[in-house]
Amino acid sequence: MSVTNLLENWSQFRHFHPVDDKPHDPYKWAMSIDLDTCTGCNACSVACFAENNIPVVGKDKFEHGQQMHWMRIERYWDEDVSNPGGRDFPDQGAQFLPMMCQQCEAAPCETVCPVAATNHTPDGLNSQIYNRCIGSRYCSANCPFKVRYFNWYDYPTDDSVWPAEMNQQLNPDVSVRSKGVMEKCTFCVQRISAAKVTAKNEGRLVHEGEIQTACQQACPTNAITFGNLVDTESRVHKQWEAQRVEIDKDKQEKDEEKGGTDLRGYRILEELRAYPSVMYLERVRESAV
Amino acid sequence: MLGCLLTWVDCLLGELLTMYRFIRFSTLLVGLFVAISGFAADSTVATLTTPDDLGPEVKQPIEFPHNRHAGNHNPTDPTKGGMEIDCQYCHTYARRSAVAGIPPLQKCIGCHKSIDSVRETPRIKQLFEAWDAKKPIEWKKVHDLPDFVRFNHERHIKRFVEQQNRPTQEACGYCHGDVKNMTVARRQKSLSMGWCASCHEKAHSVTAPGGTPIGKQAYWYTFQKPAAAAGSTPDAIKAQGPNDCWQCHK
Repeated sequence: MSVTNLLENWSQFRHFHPVDDKPHDPYKWAMSIDLDTCTGCNACSVACFAENNIPVVGKDKFEHGQQMHWMRIERYWDEDVSNPGGRDFPDQGAQFLPMMCQQCEAAPCETVCPVAATNHTPDGLNSQIYNRCIGSRYCSANCPFKVRYFNWYDYPTDDSVWPAEMNQQLNPDVSVRSKGVMEKCTFCVQRISAAKVTAKNEGRLVHEGEIQTACQQACPTNAITFGNLVDTESRVHKQWEAQRVEIDKDKQEKDEEKGGTDLRGYRILEELRAYPSVMYLERVRESAV
Repeated sequence: MLGCLLTWVDCLLGELLTMYRFIRFSTLLVGLFVAISGFAADSTVATLTTPDDLGPEVKQPIEFPHNRHAGNHNPTDPTKGGMEIDCQYCHTYARRSAVAGIPPLQKCIGCHKSIDSVRETPRIKQLFEAWDAKKPIEWKKVHDLPDFVRFNHERHIKRFVEQQNRPTQEACGYCHGDVKNMTVARRQKSLSMGWCASCHEKAHSVTAPGGTPIGKQAYWYTFQKPAAAAGSTPDAIKAQGPNDCWQCHK
């Protein structure tokens, strides 16, 4: 590819979205989270800790910004309606937003990794290979969602994290990460793998509902939906379609319409063209209290 | 006056910084050169299985003769040759789960209680002692993959034995070597990542006759658009085994 060729045929080389030349087939894992039903109970976060062998770092390290929660509940407060410019934490209560790796289609973290430890999989996931990671932390710096977590300590050898008998509850399908590697939400890739093996052995594709992520499984209000976006029968596909959120657009058509729509679906920081795979459904209630 | 001095200091600092960068860059160049020439010197080594790949000799509680069980018949003297028992007769979990498992003692006894001719040999005696004491034989692991590897026996058996009708011993032998000529099994292949990938990069036909209908999935495993072979239908794309990182890395 010479420079002249590149300049003359720029329209051929220019890509808006990586899926344009490699369509996801037969799988594209995606999620939708209904913020209206989310109560901020943190069950998803706890389930994630249990499923993915995430170390509980303790209060001190947490305060130093060394927390490891792949799934975190972000809290937002509206302005104090009755008293503008008033209290920081007004009476209507917090709004919650579960935030984890958005498995971007054009992931900013992937392009900056110096050793290609984080890659895109054919299923549209953003993989993280611990053995390959050298801990440069560029990916975390470049992540717009700040959902990558770094192992500052060798937690497996730290008795306060997993005391001897607690080792027994570690999930054997997930690596226990050592010091100096980056980690993040994987959409429970071990469950995806297992389901794909079963499906392949039976000569079929993975059915809708066959895979549940740990957070989805634990959610008491069913706020989280996970599935195959390519499968037109899947719940996640239907939700994305109903909300008119298209994965390969950085500006959704519905947002361009005059007067707007009543649809609640949106993706976070869509304008950065990372094309995240998680759609959030806006909260309906102005005040929850 | 002070401003002038500051400018001068600024200039000096800039100069130093440039110099520092230059030194670092040239170090990098030298390093790259050394690395590339080193690679060029090593690139004569082409074979993936070398004698170094031979694993350590594992001492088993009972010296199990694989050759006697799985080896070929000896037409001249039937008492000396092997019995050509299928690997899957004892290693029965390989086709049913991710791990091959260890055959339970019950499996050994199941046959050996009715084979009187070897009943009094030392190894079989040891077997029955364990059976009577209700103790398992503590077999040692020979092929041990690192904990971060997700390897699935079932998929490989389904793919090669059931879909492609390869003989079991050949399919198992891709990774386990020539077990039918061993007594106690010993690792013959390196089982390293490069070694695994050397097979996953080969152009296996994924749409094997009677195989899994995987549609256009095969195309995706290659990570590149495969060059369509002349006169072939789109469904018959030759593709590799899965080779994205998360397929095998946990």
